[in-house]
Order: sequence, then C-alpha cells, then structure tokens
Amino acid sequence: MIGPNKNVKAARYGMTIDVDRCSGCGACMVACAVENNVPPAHANATDRTGLTWIRVYKIDNGLPYPETRSAYVPVMCQHCGNETPCAHVCPQQAVDVDPATGVVGEMPQRCLGCRYCIAACPYHARYFNWWDPAWPAGMEKALNPDVTPRMRGVVEKCNFCHGRWHAAKQQAAADGKPDTEPVSYTPACAEACPTKAIHFGDLNDPASLPAQAAKQGESFRMLEKLNTDTKIYYRSKRDWVRRIADAPHPAGTGKENQRG
Amino acid sequence: MTSTRRDLIKFGGGAAVGALLTPAPWRLVTDTALWSETWPGVPRVARGEIRARYTNCSLCPAGCPVRARCLGDQPVALFGVADHPFSHGTLCPFGLAGHHLPYHPQRLKQGPVEQAKAAVAEAIARCGAEERIAILDLRPGRTASWTYRRAAKQWKSGTYLAPHRILGGDAAVNLAAAKNVISVGAPLFDGWGTPGNVIAARDKFRLIQIEATESRTASLADTWVPVQPGDELQTARKFAQDLAAQGPTLVLDAGERSEILALNQTTGALGTAIVSRREAPVPDSWNQAAPESQLDALPDRSIRVLLIDESAAGSYIPWSRIEKKLVADNPVVVVFGSSADGYGRHAGFVLPTAVYPEAVDDIPPAVDSPVAMFRLSTSLVAAPAGLVNPAQFIAGFAGIDAANSLRERADAIHKAGRGNLFTYADAKSTPLKDVKADDFWKALNDGASWADEAPVRPAAPILALVASTANATEDDLPLAVLMAEAQPTPGSPILTKLYQESNLRLAANRIALHPSAAKSCGIADGGRAMLQTRCGKLEVQVTLDEGLPPGVVRVPAVPCTLDLCGTSPRAKVVRI
Repeated sequence: MIGPNKNVKAARYGMTIDVDRCSGCGACMVACAVENNVPPAHANATDRTGLTWIRVYKIDNGLPYPETRSAYVPVMCQHCGNETPCAHVCPQQAVDVDPATGVVGEMPQRCLGCRYCIAACPYHARYFNWWDPAWPAGMEKALNPDVTPRMRGVVEKCNFCHGRWHAAKQQAAADGKPDTEPVSYTPACAEACPTKAIHFGDLNDPASLPAQAAKQGESFRMLEKLNTDTKIYYRSKRDWVRRIADAPHPAGTGKENQRG
Repeated sequence: MTSTRRDLIKFGGGAAVGALLTPAPWRLVTDTALWSETWPGVPRVARGEIRARYTNCSLCPAGCPVRARCLGDQPVALFGVADHPFSHGTLCPFGLAGHHLPYHPQRLKQGPVEQAKAAVAEAIARCGAEERIAILDLRPGRTASWTYRRAAKQWKSGTYLAPHRILGGDAAVNLAAAKNVISVGAPLFDGWGTPGNVIAARDKFRLIQIEATESRTASLADTWVPVQPGDELQTARKFAQDLAAQGPTLVLDAGERSEILALNQTTGALGTAIVSRREAPVPDSWNQAAPESQLDALPDRSIRVLLIDESAAGSYIPWSRIEKKLVADNPVVVVFGSSADGYGRHAGFVLPTAVYPEAVDDIPPAVDSPVAMFRLSTSLVAAPAGLVNPAQFIAGFAGIDAANSLRERADAIHKAGRGNLFTYADAKSTPLKDVKADDFWKALNDGASWADEAPVRPAAPILALVASTANATEDDLPLAVLMAEAQPTPGSPILTKLYQESNLRLAANRIALHPSAAKSCGIADGGRAMLQTRCGKLEVQVTLDEGLPPGVVRVPAVPCTLDLCGTSPRAKVVRI
C-alpha cells in the first residue's frame, strides 16, 4: 500500500450520479472502453464474462406491467475508503488505496489472477481478463496511447481514469503549480454523459458538485450498511430506487430487519 | 557411511517436496505474472504527437460536431465540441466510437466495380419505355442527393427515390417553442434529432410518452402512458385535446403517421413548434433536377436498374416493398455500402464505400433543426484503395461532373450571404457575409458549421394530410411487434459493451418477450426460437423482460428484422 505523505494535501475523488437523469444510453460504457483500451468482447464472452469497467444496470420497482417503472444505474468501482474489501483479500498486494487521491488502484503486473477480489467486491465492479485482449486488425492504431492494455489472466476495474489524472498532474507541473495540491480533471464517463448525470470532483472540496450533492437528502450510496465509505454518491427522488441500493431481503423471508 | 543410489534419489525427492513448502515456487508464480506482461497477445500502444482535429459525425442526420484526439493523423478518441450552440458538446455512444468503423471485421473493402459498371451500362441501354432507372437515397438533402437528382434528370426514365418523411425535409421541429410534447413512441432521448439539443430543451417542456413499453424515453418522461399496441393514436388524441389550451403542444410519432399532422393542427403546433425550413442554397444550374419521389408512387414491376446509396444511413425501407417494384426479368440492383448486411443481402452487386471518418460528405440538417445547416464530415483517416464514391459512380453514367460538387455548393451558400459560420477550434460565430469564399471552404474542412438565419416569423409548413393504411388483423400471429431503437450497422466493435457484455441494448440476434409469453411458447431465457411473420422467419435468441406487456415481442431495428417485420406488425415465436 502506498504510504501517506504528510506534505501532500490529500484529495478524495468521488462522483455523484443522478439516476433520475440517466437515460441508459451507454455512452459512459463506450467512452470508458475507448479511454482505457478495454478490448471488444471475445466471441464467447457474455454479460458475466465481459469486461465493462462501468456497467449500466436496468432496475425496476418489481411491480407487474403496467405498474412497472424502471431506472438505469451506472455501477463502477465504488472506491471504498473504509476496510476496502478487495485490498484486504488480495494475496499479492496488487490492490492499493492511494492516500493522495482516495482512488482504489489495481496493478495488473502484480495480479495473480486468483479472483479473490472479485469474490470480495460487494458491488460486482471487478472484471477478469478471460482472454487475450484482441482488437480487429488495424484497430490497435486507434488505442489510447496513455493506457497500456492488460494481459489475459488478471483482474481490472475502474480507476477514475488514471491516465487522465497523470495528464492533469503533468499539466499542473508544467503550469508551475505545487505537486502537493490536488488536480482537477474529468474521467471519460463523466465527460461523455449526454444528460450530465455524472459529475466528478474532490469530495474534500466543499465547493465541488459531488461534495455538495453528497449532503442532499436524495443522495445515497450502494450498500451503505456495509460501512465501506464508498465515494460514488447516487441521487434519486424515487424511494424505490433508494431502497434497491440497500439490497433489502425480499419481503416475507423474515430477514428484512437483519443487517447484511 | 556409504551413500547409495537410493539415498541420492531419496534426497532429491525430499528436496523437491521440501522446496514446495518454501516461498520460492510461489514467488516464481508471481514472476510468471510479471513475464506475462510482455506476451505477444498484448498489443503495444503507439506513441507520438497528440493534436486535435475537428469534423462532424456523419453516422446519423444529427451531424454532431466532433473534436478528434489524434495521435499524429490517427484519431484515438472522439469528443463533442462543448461550446457548439446546437449540439452542446454531446455525442451518443455510437458517435463516441465512430473512429473504430474503418476497422470493423465485416467492413467491405473490395467489390466487383467493373462488372457492376458493365451491367448498369447494359441495363440502361436496354431499358424499355415503361421501365425506370431509379436511385434510392436513404439520406436525402445532401449534396450527393442533388447529384442523384441531376443524374436522374439526364435519363429519360430516371427517378430519384427517398424514404417517406413528414418531418425532417421541408418541415422541421422547433423543440424550444413547445410547451408540451406528446410523443407517440418517438425515441426522443434515443436517436431522435440532435441529442444535445433535445437534452438542452428538455427542461422547458412537459413530456408525455405514449408507448406500450417503458423505453429509455419513457423512463425520463414526465408521464409514461402505457397503452396496448394500436391504441396509441386514440390516446394521443385525448391528450392533445386536453393540452391544446395550455400552449403549443407538439405531437411526435415514431412512425410518422399522417394522422399526427392533424393532431398538430389541433394543438396549434403547426407554425410554432413545427415550422417550414428552407434548404441550404444550391448552384442555379442544379435547379434543373428530378423531383423527389416515393417508392409507393411507382408502378409495380417497373424498375429495371436500381442504385441504392446505403453509405449514409437513413430510414430503412423493407426489401419486400422494394422487390415488388423491380422488373421480373433480371433487374440490376447495385448497392453502395460499407457492409453487406443491409440491402447488400438482396443486391446483385455490392460496391464498397468509405465509412466515417474516412468519407467526405455533407450532412443535412436534423429533424429538430428549425434552420438549414451545412457542415462537412471530413476525412480524418485515409480510405483504402478500391472504394467507390457513389455520387461520382452514378454521375459518370449521366455525364455529370460531380467531383467538386461540395465546393460548388459551399460557394452557392457563400454567395447567398445569409447566416453564420461557427468554427469549432476557437468556438467563434461569424456572420457569413464577413467571411471570404476561400476562407469559408477552408473553415468547413477544418471543422465548422454554417447555420441559416432564422426567419423573423416562422411559417407553417404545407403538409398533405393523407390517411394511413390500417394494418390487417392477423389472428394466427399472436404477438404485436415493437421495434427497439435503431442502431447503426455495422457499429464499432467496442459496442459489444452494450449488446453482448451487458444487456443494456437488444443485440441484433435477440428478441425480448414477457416471461408469460415465453412460457406459453415453451422458451426459457436465452433459448433459441424462430421469429415468424408474413414476410418470413428468422432464428433468434430470446431474452425475458418483465417490463414488456405479455402480447408483444420486441425486436431490434436492424435490416434483417426490418425486412421481416417492417411491413408486418404481427409475429409469432416458435421454439426450436
């Protein structure tokens, strides 16, 4: 794990996602794949074995048609700040939480491919490279030069566009700004969202949109009861959407009031 | 003490077993992972100078402005142009990955060009008095469309065909003027109009979505009104009467049925939210061109030569409607396209064309642009050899020089001196009268768009009210067909994220059924089935969706299903 540096003013990067504005178009998924050189699906890949650092899930209120109402929820690594489950179980120390940014990072070079972290992640936000990364002939030329493709046999996940963070740090250095200050940048999904449902910023900065949105009553986090202190704040005015985020046990099982 | 060979073997065996209990082999496993970093299976990314280039996306008529992040000359990512006054920096998922299209495995790069030329020339020569040479243009309004119309005029029996459209040609929608929008299944947030403009206007109107299923647009509407398929117009009529007194109420329809016009008359949308739009100027010499005709207006069995420009995607006309217009004996059908998945499945010749962002083409204004626009999709990537330019191919038979038609049209627009030029690199808007002709042309090629000036008083378009033909009831086909949102074919290979690696959108080989409907057919989730209509059948995979009403089947809007279901609104699903 990266050691904390007392001279660095730590950022706590996070997001706010307005579920009521998400149209489920998938632009965030495509922009993420383009930015991070995530390969197209292998012919045998399915929704369980594919690679999608961010995935938009369609959820509904569970009522029969025509009372059914649905919503789209983009889910990526929630960047747990407390007892990060994937970091705890990794035997290779391939997962770390950067104290300077709060971002949970994955180092594919260290990854053994044991997939303990996939099993430990409560948000299903980690993906395994079942196949060699392959692009159609010639398409390698169109890869993002700032991100190295990962090899078969390792786990990968959202890192809040680490390449863009690096570029922002370089730009800040070129502009003569101190290296200890957090930098401002936007991940690909937030930039691509047509409805502006996704906003990114420093949760330690009270003026940032995510920090402000986090305090609103409509805000919620996924599986808050696990106390993992995630950095993705969702928003919705619909009660049933907020309820689903806490994954309640189905009614009638007798477990409705139990924790976990 | 003497050591025997047995002792040596024991020692070796013990050492091997003991080594397994030390960290050494586990360390080796880690190192193996490190070595695997350089496996040949992992492509290496290129390095070089990064720069921005600008163009316009030509995947659909929205024509969104694009900033391409290029490594040298190679685009590696596409973004919207944030300051653009109409698109507001928005790109759809298909546009975001448009730079991958030249590398699609199904992309055509070779075709029988000389054979097609010979066959067309021979067929034109023996074209009978009652027979026609027709050009079908899926995206009318382009400069290439004018070339087709000019070519059709040169032939005695030439006909220029375009898909039927009520809105998007001479009539356009001004969303900013609407207080209420009643959408009869129109995919407002999923492929209708210009995404950025629709989203920017969204907060200013109340949206009522009348649709059998809760589509993406319905999920973001103020009110979703679930109706049985076939009851949409009746429900829309009721809402239109109730809302007419509350201000301009726009009624939009997914299928552009003529009855919708009457509703817009009732609600006062004609002249306010639906306005007349003049076309971008063209050179005077082009005005001697064939008029736009509709396929249904032609007699059956009358087309001897059919040239279909599929290079610019537009409304797809089911093949069964086209086929009955072809002469019975050996018609010549030539399709210009980038893949053989569309009309290429039915044509005698499929000629490969350049794709976005290789192709140089202009993009007509989208349905939600109340003023004319002129913007170029310029070439960011060099096209491979062996491709055909459809306009020049067709112009060659008519003896027209179309090589400089885009420049000629730009000069005609400049000569008219109306409107403003918006340049993307500096986000600057300049009155066209202040720009020189050469600078205008250069700006268009470097990334810019021209927008006509808005009329002082918007005029109501003159639209013919024609009753739609009712679909016959087909009792033996129990399921009503609902088309999913349109999708470009082929799209970027990376779109597997939406269709295969998640179930966010309906893949081309899938249909969706309510679990009870699937159960009655004996089909489980993911099961194989045959989708049957009056026009034929197709093998598909079934996805269960509890959000669908039981009596419908939802099918993707791709050429093979549009051929199957486009003229037949009912179907049945049989387990195989």
